[in-house]
Amino acid sequence: MKNTTLLLLLLSFALLPACGDKGVEDTGVNFDITFKATFDGVQLEKNKDYQFGNIPMFVEACRMYLSDITLLNGDKEIVLSEIEYLDFTPTNAVSATPTITFKNVPEGEYTGIRIGYGVKPSLNAKRPSSFPAGHPLAIENDYWSGWSSYIFSTLDGKADPENDGSKNLSLAYHCGSDAVYKTFEFAQAIHVHEGEAGARISFDMKKLLTLADGTLYDIAAHPATSNSVSDVTVAQALTANFGRATTVEQ
Amino acid sequence: MKKLFRKNIIWLAIILLVAFTFAVACNKEDPPPTKLGDLEDTPYLPQAYTILKPAYFPEIPIPANNPMTKDGVQLGRRLFYDPILSADSTMSCSTCHLPAGSFTDNKAVSTGIDQISGRRSSMALLNLAYVTDGYFWDGRAKTLEDQALIPVEDPIEMHNTWVNVVEKIKKHPTYPALFRKAFGINDRAEITQELAAKAMAQFERILVSSGKSRYDDFIGGNFDALDEEEIDGKLMFFDEGAQYSLPDAQCFHCHGGVTLTGGKFFNNGLDSVGSLDEFKDLGLFETTGNPFDKGKFRATTLRNIGLTAPYMHDGRFQTLDQVIEQYNDNGFGVVNEGAFLNNIGFPNGDGTYTGLTEYQKRALVKFLHTLTDTVFINNPDIQNPF
Repeated sequence: MKNTTLLLLLLSFALLPACGDKGVEDTGVNFDITFKATFDGVQLEKNKDYQFGNIPMFVEACRMYLSDITLLNGDKEIVLSEIEYLDFTPTNAVSATPTITFKNVPEGEYTGIRIGYGVKPSLNAKRPSSFPAGHPLAIENDYWSGWSSYIFSTLDGKADPENDGSKNLSLAYHCGSDAVYKTFEFAQAIHVHEGEAGARISFDMKKLLTLADGTLYDIAAHPATSNSVSDVTVAQALTANFGRATTVEQ
Repeated sequence: MKKLFRKNIIWLAIILLVAFTFAVACNKEDPPPTKLGDLEDTPYLPQAYTILKPAYFPEIPIPANNPMTKDGVQLGRRLFYDPILSADSTMSCSTCHLPAGSFTDNKAVSTGIDQISGRRSSMALLNLAYVTDGYFWDGRAKTLEDQALIPVEDPIEMHNTWVNVVEKIKKHPTYPALFRKAFGINDRAEITQELAAKAMAQFERILVSSGKSRYDDFIGGNFDALDEEEIDGKLMFFDEGAQYSLPDAQCFHCHGGVTLTGGKFFNNGLDSVGSLDEFKDLGLFETTGNPFDKGKFRATTLRNIGLTAPYMHDGRFQTLDQVIEQYNDNGFGVVNEGAFLNNIGFPNGDGTYTGLTEYQKRALVKFLHTLTDTVFINNPDIQNPF
C-alpha cells in the first residue's frame, strides 16, 4: 500500500509539467527586428527641415500598422506577428526606432520577408473594443468610425511649396480602409540563429512620396488624403509606394 | 547645606512634573505610537473592482502595479474629496473638479489656497484611463499615479508637502485602517504618498462615460435620439457628410475614438504669433523641450463638453459657439498648427477652405450638446462621500 502511494505521488509529479505547457512547442529563438523611419536615407526626426525636390518641408507625425510580418523560405512561412503598431514620432521624443522581439522563431535560413501595410481586412473588420487593453488594435485614437477602418498609416507635416519661407501648407496623409491595404515581399537572406543579430527594416518617407518613375508626388496639389471613403486615390497612390520605400537588411 | 540640597531637589521635581504635564498636553494630537503591526486587527480582504464601461468602449488598461480593488477605489474617493491634502485643510481635488461640471470648476482658471490664480483651466476628469500621451494640459505626468502627486505640492494649488499630508493621514482616526484595507499594510508607518496616489488613481480610473448620452443612444441604433440638425452636426464632426453635401469640420482628427478624447497635443490655432516664442503659455514644450511644441496643449475629451465651459486651456471662450467660430477661421498659419486646422469646410480649389455656414456651425454645436452624459455626473459612486 505504502509503495503504491509513493508510486502514485511520483507519477503525479512526473505528469505535472505536461499539464502546464498545454502542448505548446517551446522551441526556436528570440529574433529582433528594429524598425526605423528615414527621410532621404537619414533618420527621420520630427520638425526637422527636409528638402523635397525644391520644396522645404518637415514631418510632424509618422505612424503605421503592419500586418502578418512573415519570414519566407520556399513553402515555409513563419508568421512573426499578426499586427504591430509603430510610432516613429512619439509625443516625448523627436524620433523613435522601435525594436520588437519575436519569440520562439524557428532557427534557420530564410530568403525573404512579407509585410502587410496597414491592418489586414479580417482585423480591420473589428473595432478597438474587440481587443484587450495594450493590444495594438485597442488604440482607439487610430480608429476612424467614419470609414469603419483603422488609420493604417499617418504622415503629417508642413511644406513651403511657394518657397516664401513660410511652411504653411499642411500635409495630412491618413491612409485607411480595406481598399488601401497592400502586401509586399522583400527578397533578403535572413539568418535566424541563437546569438545572431536581428533584422533592420526602414521606411523612407521621401521614397513614399516618390512615384514609380522617380518623379516626386505633387504634394502641393494633393497635400492630404481625401476624407471620403469612396475616394482613396491618394491613399492608394502612397501605399503603392511602400514597397519601394522599404529596405530590409540584416 | 543638606537642607538647601533637599529644597533644590523638591523644586527640580516640581519643574519636571510641570514639564511632563505640558509635554503630555502638547502631544494630545500626536498619533498613537507606531508599533509594528498596529493595523493587523483590521481585516485585509481585497476584492477586485470591475470598472463599468459601455460595451463598445475599449478595455480599460490597468497598470500591473496598481490593481483595482473596491477598498482602493473607496480610499481614493475619500482622499479626492478630502481637504486634508491642502496645507490649510480648505481645498481638496474636488474644489476644482466637481462632478456637476464633469469634474471641472467651470472657471476660466482655478484659484489655490493662497488665492493665487493658476494659469490654466481645470481639466474635465472623464475617461482618463484611456489617456496614452500624458496628463495635464502639457502632458507632464505620464501616469494617473504620477498626476495625483503633483497638485498637493503645487504652490498655486494646495501648497502643501507630501511629508505633511502623510503625517496627517497617519494621525487620522480612520485613514490608517482604510490604507490597510486597500493595500494590506501592517502598520501606519507604511503609509506613503505613493499609496495615496495609487488610491486616487484608482478612483480616477472609474470616471468613465456611462454610454447613456443621446449620442450614445443614437449610435446604439435609436435613430430618433438626434434631430436632423444634430445628425448633420455629427456627420460634419466625423466627416461622414459628403453624400449629403455637408463639409468636413475636421473635429475628430484631434478628438477621435469612441471617447472623443484623442489625447494627443496640438496647437489648435488660438493665437496669431509671429514666432513660436511669443506664445504666452508654452504648453507641451515645458514637458518635451521641443521648440515646435510651444503653444501645444492636450486635446481634451468632448464628451460632456456642454458642461465644462469656459473652454480652452485658459478658459478664454465662454460658449461653444465662440469655440466653433474660432476654428471656423481656419487658423492663423502658424507653423506648428494642427494639420487639419486649415481645412475646415469645402475646398476652394486654391488651397483655402470655405469654413462653415451659420447653419453648419449651429448644427455642430447642437451635436456637441448631445454628448452630455448626466448619468455619469450623477453616478452616486463618484460623489462626495463626506
